[in-house]
Amino acid sequence: MTYHRQATPLHAARVVAGGGFCLALVLCAVIADHPLVLGALLVAVLGAGVGARCLGELGRVLRYALPLALIAAALNPLFSHQGLTVLARLGDVPPFGQLDVTLEALVFGAVFALKLLVVVLALALLSSTVDPDEMLRVVRRVSLRSALTASLATRMWTVLERDARRLAEARRCRADWREGGAGRAARVAAAAVVVRAVAAGALERAVDVAATLEIRGYGSVRRPPRHALPWSRHDLDFASAGLALVSLTVASRLAGVGDFDTYPTVHGSVGLPEGLLVAVLLGVALLPFTDRRGVTG
Amino acid sequence: MRRRTRAGLLLAGLLAGISGCGLGPGRTPGGVGLAVTDDFGRATVFDSGAPRVSGQDTVMRLLERNVTITTRYGGGFVQSIDGRSGGHVAERPIDWFYYVNGSEAEKGAAATVVHPGDRVWWDRHDWGAAMDTPAVVGSFPEPFLHGRAGRRLPVRVDCLGADPGPCRMVAERLGAAGVPTVGRGSPGPAAGGASALRVLVGVWRALRRDPTAARLEGGPVSSGVYARPTASGASIELLDERGRRAQALGPAGGLVAATRSEGDMPVWVVTGTDSAGVRQAAGALRPEVLRHRFAVAVGPGASVALPEAPR
Repeated sequence: MTYHRQATPLHAARVVAGGGFCLALVLCAVIADHPLVLGALLVAVLGAGVGARCLGELGRVLRYALPLALIAAALNPLFSHQGLTVLARLGDVPPFGQLDVTLEALVFGAVFALKLLVVVLALALLSSTVDPDEMLRVVRRVSLRSALTASLATRMWTVLERDARRLAEARRCRADWREGGAGRAARVAAAAVVVRAVAAGALERAVDVAATLEIRGYGSVRRPPRHALPWSRHDLDFASAGLALVSLTVASRLAGVGDFDTYPTVHGSVGLPEGLLVAVLLGVALLPFTDRRGVTG
Repeated sequence: MRRRTRAGLLLAGLLAGISGCGLGPGRTPGGVGLAVTDDFGRATVFDSGAPRVSGQDTVMRLLERNVTITTRYGGGFVQSIDGRSGGHVAERPIDWFYYVNGSEAEKGAAATVVHPGDRVWWDRHDWGAAMDTPAVVGSFPEPFLHGRAGRRLPVRVDCLGADPGPCRMVAERLGAAGVPTVGRGSPGPAAGGASALRVLVGVWRALRRDPTAARLEGGPVSSGVYARPTASGASIELLDERGRRAQALGPAGGLVAATRSEGDMPVWVVTGTDSAGVRQAAGALRPEVLRHRFAVAVGPGASVALPEAPR
């Protein structure tokens, strides 16, 4: 997953606002328990993906996240001993004891999977729409060395990827490269050879980079000055949307709107307040994308 | 091929049925009782002879259906019941323990299935003096009526002493409580094998020859019983929940207690310092006297719940 600059309001917003908006979606998913609210947040993240023209990136992440979420949802009923509505009895299975699949454990697993999906997709939205260099520039004022390390690591990663590609191509040029066979085991063995070579190269590069940094005097660099730029309408839109999302979710939890309990029995309120909450959350999350004034690629 | 598949499915279904597997909650057991007490049975939190039970409930689900609980470790350990929490009180460790038909559980509550007629008893108590209380008398006439793990067990009264009166009284009390057949014998390996429930009746001098009963002389750490008969059998020390001596019973002192060696069936002890004490103890073998008691000591004119309340 890589960042590509696009002509969208989220890309146009400054890091603090755009990143804050994505992290607000993550925080809301962590706080909320009601499937309706989590569903609304999922729609909001996907809608934001459409608004930020990175739905393809989110789809690629979803391909990995969905099986993980499904595994989490399937395992919970097998290992949770909670819940009163037994759907199936699997008998006494040592060392787990009596394994009973309960409706509540199933629901808990499903809600957890939904939560996991929202969190992963919101983080994917963050990495697709927030310029990593800008983010590191912001972090630089907080912790210079951490920002420098992260900058190097992100750049080294692409360098190592290139190295791996070249090494793999070079290996394929050898006359005996098919000798191990075409099976999965042979492919894994071939990949292991490349990974070992890349890892060894990475260590050598790291030593070189460290020496270069030392010679150029990076160790004595001071905290950079703050460049105060005026906030754009997109900055304000996304910052206020993120703040509003978190405030709404916290306030609804405190007010008991969108309460959802899975144990000992499934209990969740579904009514006008929950419907309103879902509508407002969706509106607040997607409204900033409608303002496209001043958006440039 | 189709016939083989059908046979395989039939076999799988049979195996599933035998091992307690199946769809839905299963058959609801009848005659289940649930009691929740605090401080070695001194305060009753919940007591019902007909609690809410649905299908093949585990002890944990039975509890959760009837009282408000909080759990830890993925729902396998009860942390609090109706707001009464385990932990430390005045630097003493207290926690919730449960007994099914008078036997301390060997498995977690979420792994123990409730069977018809089971008496489930939860008690929160100080376990500083005895980490284990393997058997208690507070669910009488269990375990004699429904046994353990849904299996009824043979009951044998072992008479150790010259006086047949207390022995007869114990057999009558068991009969009155609904225990259908009670065997008689003398100490040694139980008739019916190690799976028989034994009631040892006699003066302590005679009973201490039984290796399981002899554990009582080691105090709560060894037997889980908060009473310690002296080797001579002349007195029985009654202990408080910290294992400290509270008082001692002399002549005509009796004791009804239960203990268990690891892996064996519970052994009940109806004993006394002398014949009068044994008769007193046999007379205490009634549900209303033993109810929610870990053990009961009987002095001249009064019975004392063990462990003794701190003074």
